[in-house]
Amino acid sequence: MMNSMNDASVGQDVEKVFGELKSMFDGCETVQIDTRQYKLVVPSDKMLGMLTYLKSIGYSHLSIITCVDWIDEKKFELVYVLFNWLNGVTFLVSTFIDRDRPIFYTVKDMWPTAEYYERDVHEFFGVEFEGNENCKKPLMLELWDDLPPLRKDFDPLQYSKEHFPDRTYEKDPIHEARIIRGDIEGDTEGGEIDG
Amino acid sequence: MGEMKLFFGPNHPGLHGNFSVHMYVEGDTIIRARPVPGFLHRGFEKLMERRLWYQNLALIPRICVQEPDINEACYAMAIEKIAKVDVPERAQWIRMIVLELARIANHMWAFGGVGGPTGMYTSMYWSVADRDKVLDLFEELSGARIYHMYIIPGGVRKDFPPHFEEKLVKLLDYIEGRLPEYETFVLKNRILHTRLRGIATIDTETCLKIGVTGIGLRATGVPYDIRKVAPYLFYDRVEFDVPTATEGDALARISLKPQEIRQSIRIIRQALEYMPSGPVNAKIADGNGLRIRVPKGMAYAKVESTRGEYGYLVVSNGEEKPYRVAVRGASYPQGLYGVEHLMPGTRIDDVPIWLDTMGVCAPEIDR
Amino acid sequence: MDKIEKIDERGVWEKIADQLRSRSMWMLHYCTGCGAVELPPSTTSRFDMERLGMGPMATPRQADLFLITGYLSTKTLRRVIYTYEKMADPKYVIGFGSCTINGGIYYDSYSTINRLDQYLPVDLYIAGCMPRPEAILNAFTKLMEMIRKGEADGWKRYKENYEWYKQNQLRSLGEVVVYDEFHE
Repeated sequence: MMNSMNDASVGQDVEKVFGELKSMFDGCETVQIDTRQYKLVVPSDKMLGMLTYLKSIGYSHLSIITCVDWIDEKKFELVYVLFNWLNGVTFLVSTFIDRDRPIFYTVKDMWPTAEYYERDVHEFFGVEFEGNENCKKPLMLELWDDLPPLRKDFDPLQYSKEHFPDRTYEKDPIHEARIIRGDIEGDTEGGEIDG
Repeated sequence: MGEMKLFFGPNHPGLHGNFSVHMYVEGDTIIRARPVPGFLHRGFEKLMERRLWYQNLALIPRICVQEPDINEACYAMAIEKIAKVDVPERAQWIRMIVLELARIANHMWAFGGVGGPTGMYTSMYWSVADRDKVLDLFEELSGARIYHMYIIPGGVRKDFPPHFEEKLVKLLDYIEGRLPEYETFVLKNRILHTRLRGIATIDTETCLKIGVTGIGLRATGVPYDIRKVAPYLFYDRVEFDVPTATEGDALARISLKPQEIRQSIRIIRQALEYMPSGPVNAKIADGNGLRIRVPKGMAYAKVESTRGEYGYLVVSNGEEKPYRVAVRGASYPQGLYGVEHLMPGTRIDDVPIWLDTMGVCAPEIDR
Repeated sequence: MDKIEKIDERGVWEKIADQLRSRSMWMLHYCTGCGAVELPPSTTSRFDMERLGMGPMATPRQADLFLITGYLSTKTLRRVIYTYEKMADPKYVIGFGSCTINGGIYYDSYSTINRLDQYLPVDLYIAGCMPRPEAILNAFTKLMEMIRKGEADGWKRYKENYEWYKQNQLRSLGEVVVYDEFHE
């Protein structure tokens, strides 16, 4: 389908949509990122209404649901990326929820694949979604008993050192000095790795 | 006959990639199915937060193994959107050529690879050997066959080596000459018709409801393509068609692949004509050399890959390392939702055909 | 550093059997990691693997060679250990890529292991990220020579040091059991 709208008419359409949104939901802020990409920040109690309205006017393709951990402000930011196939505009709709009690509502009745995106966010951040009863089943990790991994207070290097031992390499400084000085050609002698 | 449990497990020659499907079957029909991803999980999104912006370029191609250039392009485009940097024109054309070559290579892999689940291995031998010629070109351009690390934020790493364009044109002529042979061998084959026609169907409404994009959507008759609807790079300056089919079954999806290869060849030829000369990369932001700092912001960049919409959400905090990078794999809807809710009622041997023709790539689901 | 000469303890029949085994090995077709994308090019017509007598095989019971292509996440490692213990003797393991040697670029990941030979006995490593098909064929010919000389005895080492391997596996993985919540 050739996109016959040029950028100016797309911009006008989006301005109209923003006008209606601001009159229907107060507290909504908009930022333009690029020609066809905008970010909307909404308070968390108006979020479901906003998503339902946007889906009804054509922004019906949900690309991904994801989460950003703002540990200094003690908030999680949930980001929903919506796309409109007719005019090619992407909206990043985001809301802030509390980090110590992260609970939100599910959207799997509007978009069925959201069940898996929400399971993903739950597994890696610990956000609970009311209404999605499969939310607690693990998807990627098996027998995981630590913090949710993508939070900022989880240190993967320390976890890796505790659980998975590393290989230690022994340095032979005299041998290396000889190679640097050029007394020995090549280094095929040290090429074997024994287990 | 009662129900039986069956693990269509990770160690199976019919599944390419490390993916598993657990199911209850009765005779040959599936009653319930559940996909099990996670075998290739490496924790990319956490690793990317611990490395500098340029150091991530070594990690990024390994997220999608069959078509690594889309990762680099999405990452670079998202950073350029946040930093509001203009990329030189020659670099954009070179990026288009690289992306279309990667699309040709992956389509050849998948088109011949349909012989794997159906038992006709000759097509795989031919198409993988022809795909190697494309990889030879990539090796000359960037130094490595599979993971190129060639597209960087700000442009591309280096310009074309000498005599590259002649070799590229020769390769395009060779592939175009071989395509009729492939079409006769795969698409006019009676065994494949009985194996693929009417199998693993999906209709437009279900596709749009669950978010399937790419070839799965275009095989049902709807010509939605991100390169036309929301053009990135210079796709609005070249002419190409978007091939569609109407039946929505496995045979329709396979028959679209050689047509898309032809359109990609057309795009590359036009790009070689229109390309100006000039610089190939631009400086991104302040910071010295490779330790750049990207200003604060959030952006989402997407490309049309061979499997659908592939996107990166990049969040920056003004520092030397990314704050959060989220990857949207193109095969998320069809690999997870499609297997759990659309497979019951079909037969066991339809599961690898669904996974293969929809192009479910396990590493991009697991990240 | 002098190489310690290994004493060849095989009997006559085993030496003859090793000469015959090395010329027709079957490789288990299990793509465990991202290195598996270079296996079809080395199997198909350009870098033909079948001229060395090797071909892919679907079941572990009838395979000789297990190629661990790349990194191993903990979820895959449990299945790999199951599969390795189901293969029939004699069996050989090749570690493919830098991730099996010291973790590669995922050295600080919470989900991938760092040293493969803590959990399974490895006969040969191929370095690279990723190794070219010519390197793979080179490794196969070297493995065949090792088999003929009697140096590829990973399976004997596994049986002798079973307790040590099991202890490492349990320490890193928790337990080596495949759960199936769907069917319970």
